[in-house]
Amino acid sequence: MGKFILRRILLLIPILLGLSVLIFLFIRLLPGDPAGAILGERATPENIERVRAALGLDRPLHEQYFEYLGGLLRGDLGQSFLTRRDVVDDFLQRFPATIELTAAALIFALSLGIPLGMITAKRRGSWVDQFGTVLSLVGISIPIFFLGLMLKYVFAIQFPILPDSGRIDFIEYAIPRVTRFMTVDALLAGEFGGFVDALRHLILPGIALGTIPLAIIMRITRASVVDVLNEDYVRTANAKGLPSGIVDTRHVLRNAMLPVVTVIGLQTGLLLGGAILTETIFGWGGVGTWIYDAVRTSDYQVIQSGVLLLAFIFVLVNLLVDVSYAFLNPRIRYS
Amino acid sequence: MRTWRWFSAFAVLALVLAACGTQTGASPSADVDEESEPPAVSEEPTDGEPVAGGTLVFAGARLAASLDPSQTSDGESFRILQQVYEPLVDLAIGSTNELVGVLAESWEGGPEDTVYVFNLREGVTFQDGTPLNAEAVKVNFDRWQSFPEEFSANAYYYGATMNGFGEGNLIASVEATDDLTVTITLTEPSPTFLFAITLPAFGIVSPAVLESTNADDPAESTFGTDASLGGTGPFILESYTPEEEATLVRNDDYWGTPAYLDRVIIRPIADPAARLQALQGGSVQGFDLVNPADYEAVVDDGFVLVERLSFNSLYLGVNPIAAETEGNPLAELAVREAVEYAIDKEALIEPFYGGRGAVADIFLPPSSGWYDAVVGGVEPRGFDQDRARELLAEAGFGPENPPEVGFWFPTEVTRPYMPDPAGLHAAVTQMLEDAGFVVVPGSDIWDSPGYLADAQNGLYDLHFLGWTGDYDDPSNWYGVHFGYDAEGAPAAQFGCDVEGLNEAIEAAEAELDETARGEAWAEVARIIHGEVCFITLVHGDTALAFTEEVQGYTANPTGSETFSTVWLSGE
Repeated sequence: MGKFILRRILLLIPILLGLSVLIFLFIRLLPGDPAGAILGERATPENIERVRAALGLDRPLHEQYFEYLGGLLRGDLGQSFLTRRDVVDDFLQRFPATIELTAAALIFALSLGIPLGMITAKRRGSWVDQFGTVLSLVGISIPIFFLGLMLKYVFAIQFPILPDSGRIDFIEYAIPRVTRFMTVDALLAGEFGGFVDALRHLILPGIALGTIPLAIIMRITRASVVDVLNEDYVRTANAKGLPSGIVDTRHVLRNAMLPVVTVIGLQTGLLLGGAILTETIFGWGGVGTWIYDAVRTSDYQVIQSGVLLLAFIFVLVNLLVDVSYAFLNPRIRYS
Repeated sequence: MRTWRWFSAFAVLALVLAACGTQTGASPSADVDEESEPPAVSEEPTDGEPVAGGTLVFAGARLAASLDPSQTSDGESFRILQQVYEPLVDLAIGSTNELVGVLAESWEGGPEDTVYVFNLREGVTFQDGTPLNAEAVKVNFDRWQSFPEEFSANAYYYGATMNGFGEGNLIASVEATDDLTVTITLTEPSPTFLFAITLPAFGIVSPAVLESTNADDPAESTFGTDASLGGTGPFILESYTPEEEATLVRNDDYWGTPAYLDRVIIRPIADPAARLQALQGGSVQGFDLVNPADYEAVVDDGFVLVERLSFNSLYLGVNPIAAETEGNPLAELAVREAVEYAIDKEALIEPFYGGRGAVADIFLPPSSGWYDAVVGGVEPRGFDQDRARELLAEAGFGPENPPEVGFWFPTEVTRPYMPDPAGLHAAVTQMLEDAGFVVVPGSDIWDSPGYLADAQNGLYDLHFLGWTGDYDDPSNWYGVHFGYDAEGAPAAQFGCDVEGLNEAIEAAEAELDETARGEAWAEVARIIHGEVCFITLVHGDTALAFTEEVQGYTANPTGSETFSTVWLSGE
């Protein structure tokens, strides 16, 4: 197992190297120019030339890439063209917000998706199963932007029981940023009310973001459980008179979880990559809007390094998923 | 089973159709003949005596691009930084051209002079406790002038107003003549120097903070990224979390009238619909750049709409020698005049600007102090489709031989002067076609290269663009757009090479006497509008929205606005 993990981590190096070349070249093929983004209507040819020279964009491509690569090897991921902030600092400031939002979405998706998948599988063909099918289709079909705005309209404006946007009530709570996880920082500051408020702020965006993963997890769980229910060992366990709860958890779910865990891993990686629409609607300062703004303004350094960081995290998450297989199914051995 | 499948399909279809039909507000349409009163607007709401205390949460579209004012040139950055940093002189509250002393109690020097003497206010301290003195001002001006390339790239306003950086720019020297006297010597007289230094980019920063934050080292500087105590303003930037909040607290040691509010928290909410929902939901008490389609909703919900008079202009670029069309009909003056007569400018205001704005007879908006002087040089062409058709006939065009023109608009952008590019394009296209033109539409992504670059390189026959003024002087409008380059070539965007225009612009730029300057720019406007080098369309107002408890916010067309006069009535 240790060798397996080490090998996968070492594989990261060529993967990220290859990615860095691809991203470096690809973003320079896209329309848009950092100088134009900085200058806007004031982007006369002379101004553009001046700004491009100041940003080093007038040098040959290979020179620019090797300078960037040198920085990467030193752990310097560069600075934003627009803000001159270190990319790493910006990422670390925003990523905790994305992690909190992802966690909220996954808790919503898993706490409903797995039980619903189990129930619809055990009652397949019934009205419960049909209802579950409609629910999952709705979940996948509904545009996040629409869902987010409707959730806000109903639960934050018409019946104001939840906050409409942001991560905390800034008027009530002045929470010092330590870890940048709002829930954790509120606890560290001794503000239990702030902790609860931060949780309340996670509910609507968590639901909006978690609806698609909920639908997917429910369908995958259902399909996987249906397969396992037909296995001999499940029939044997039932025949032996085990309580259905024990059969469901110890025999059915555990064996059905492998494909579900794979989907959870993929969904987690996608969500951590940034939920641009949800972040925009709920004023959530995560990595999604950060990368989107960088693409919109052709902020090459942020795009290059930000995407590399997210790719790194995506690979790590999937490594964790692969490792978890061995714990779910002891017959799986890695070497 | 089959019944359930049909039910499922209908349920999904209903939701998809509902989603497609959802809009955050009424869409302006090309059908512009509905007239209605614009929603009521509050004018500087005052309800009782100001009360100190309280926290205001305000939503802008973004936070600051940098916390170093010299590195910023956008309104969202200025919103935060002009509460903290102050210039030597500034515009009076609500004015576009009346100068008042801020850190300089008084000054000598004007448009005809090369030497300016600023007498600094006594007893002013920076928020870090160090004193404001002449040496501090010199440190700031010297710093800007000697910016390394990494900083000069983003220091647009210094470069643009001081003719670049380094020796040889507009500023010959800055001397601390005595402890509270700064003498700035220019290389030549400049009618715009005093207005330029009112810009937030020229806010004076504590030299001690500049040093402690390594502000001059592009690799090590934290001045642009972390909150500091470098200003003299009525608010201190207490904390700054990118993408989340900027918290300003009252500076209790402020040299002037202290602010009423304890705290101002500025939150970034990029989407205008989401900003309105934040106001409706109570998580903010005010926000800027209300979508014109939401003006009515704001007032109907019981909120206060505060209008900001326009300091911008939407125009239709007209290029008779555009690279895209051979035998371009726009080469004929009669055809260009016909384009202007064909457009009902007034009819664009209601659907696209919420009824708030003014027809643009000239480039300068009515809020400009130069408006009356310059508008006298121009004979506006009002909406007259019959006249448009007559002119086309005079030029040899008609129903059998209609003139064909390319007409471009940008995508993936909104600007204060152009809230709905596609909608405006559709409306104006209809007007041109009604007058007998054949319009070939085109669009491209806003960024440069793309729409901006192609427009400025003169590739489009007709195209939308606009301008928000940096400061109130005609050179920042006509001069920037129509000035000839060092080789004597006219601006490529318009291809407008008219006899006498270059000389008229040079004379107007150099004119220092106020009255004569106004007349000189009126002459420039006469030539440009007479030849239809471009067609100014609308000066679109913008607006902020507040809850009723928020009092005392005064909007300024230039965006130079302070929270120090704002208070909460507690209603």
